[in-house]
Amino acid sequence: MAEEQAATAMETSAVEKQPETTTEAEAPSLTTKRMVVAIDESDSSFYALQWVIDHFSNLLLTTAAAEAESGMLTVIHVQSPFNHFAAFPAGPGGATAVYASSSMIESVKKAQQETSAALLSRALQMCRAKQIRTETLVLEGEAKEMICEAVEKMHVDLLVVGSRGLGKIKRYCIINNFFLYINLSAYYFVCFVRFGRAFLGSVSDYCAHHANCPILIVKPPKEMTK
Amino acid sequence: MATGDGKSVMVVGVDDSEQSTYALEWTLDRFFAPYAPNYPFKLFIVHAKPNAVSAVGLAGPGTAEVVPYVDADLKHTAAKVVEKAKAICQSRSVHGAVIEVFEGDARNILCEVVDKHHASILVVGSHGYGAIKRAVLGSTSDYCAHHAHCSVMIVKKPKIKV
Repeated sequence: MAEEQAATAMETSAVEKQPETTTEAEAPSLTTKRMVVAIDESDSSFYALQWVIDHFSNLLLTTAAAEAESGMLTVIHVQSPFNHFAAFPAGPGGATAVYASSSMIESVKKAQQETSAALLSRALQMCRAKQIRTETLVLEGEAKEMICEAVEKMHVDLLVVGSRGLGKIKRYCIINNFFLYINLSAYYFVCFVRFGRAFLGSVSDYCAHHANCPILIVKPPKEMTK
Repeated sequence: MATGDGKSVMVVGVDDSEQSTYALEWTLDRFFAPYAPNYPFKLFIVHAKPNAVSAVGLAGPGTAEVVPYVDADLKHTAAKVVEKAKAICQSRSVHGAVIEVFEGDARNILCEVVDKHHASILVVGSHGYGAIKRAVLGSTSDYCAHHAHCSVMIVKKPKIKV
């Protein structure tokens, strides 16, 4: 069942599809025709999507008659690129370097695709419940840069991002994101260390300053930040 | 987060800048004008008039004489901002917007107004300053994005790349 949902989500996702571009002669529309919501695994990003659905559904609501006129919601998920090679200060004599085998890379990429599919499937279900025309897009790279790039290419009216609702100290704390991979068949395990989001809340901060369109930063309720 | 009539509250911060005017126009064009008269939000337009003493920002001989002139100028600016906001609303046939003027620092005022009206969304313009100018001058949009107890929409003019 979950696999079917994942497959459906990946089919509807516009990974290969080039974003629509408007010609220079085209006049800017007065309604919010294209909104983009960036999502990740966090609750705050899904809260942002739900917030948009609850507050802006009348801007995006679609009927069979008005399908061409109504707004389009694009849900974007950015996969972080997988590094084949990692070095970290551990083990005898200082730094230890690890190179990922091809089978390991494949399994990690497969896991990433499954995660993306599950996230987009959940997002699509939320949008379909309110009859909102939705397309999904999976990108690979540094989240904040890819979001800003996509926004520019797609001529977006409004970018929506979640905020983790963290204070200054937490926001600027450097966090190491540890990824542990265990290969049981070969009876060994490899530990990869890669820097996750160096600054918490940095995606919304970065997009607020660099996105070439208005941005909505959705704050989660207090109980979510505790 | 909603008024008595069940509508969510939207607060738009305005000042005498071009960016602020654009933010108000953009908001009305997208969220109000197309849906008249059943607007999706109850609209509050807020202007924060700086305090004359803080605006002068220096102490010394002659300061007391300067303050009344500065205050008069700030009141004149506030009146112009209110008139402009009214004109923008009228030009888009948006009625029922409440325009308020408060004295104090814009950043604190906007966050207080959000709490007072239990707003769902705060809209602010952005000057598009670089990192250094933002650090020196302080950014209202940055402050509100981190401190306002509601979702924050930062509206900036898109840069046209040639």
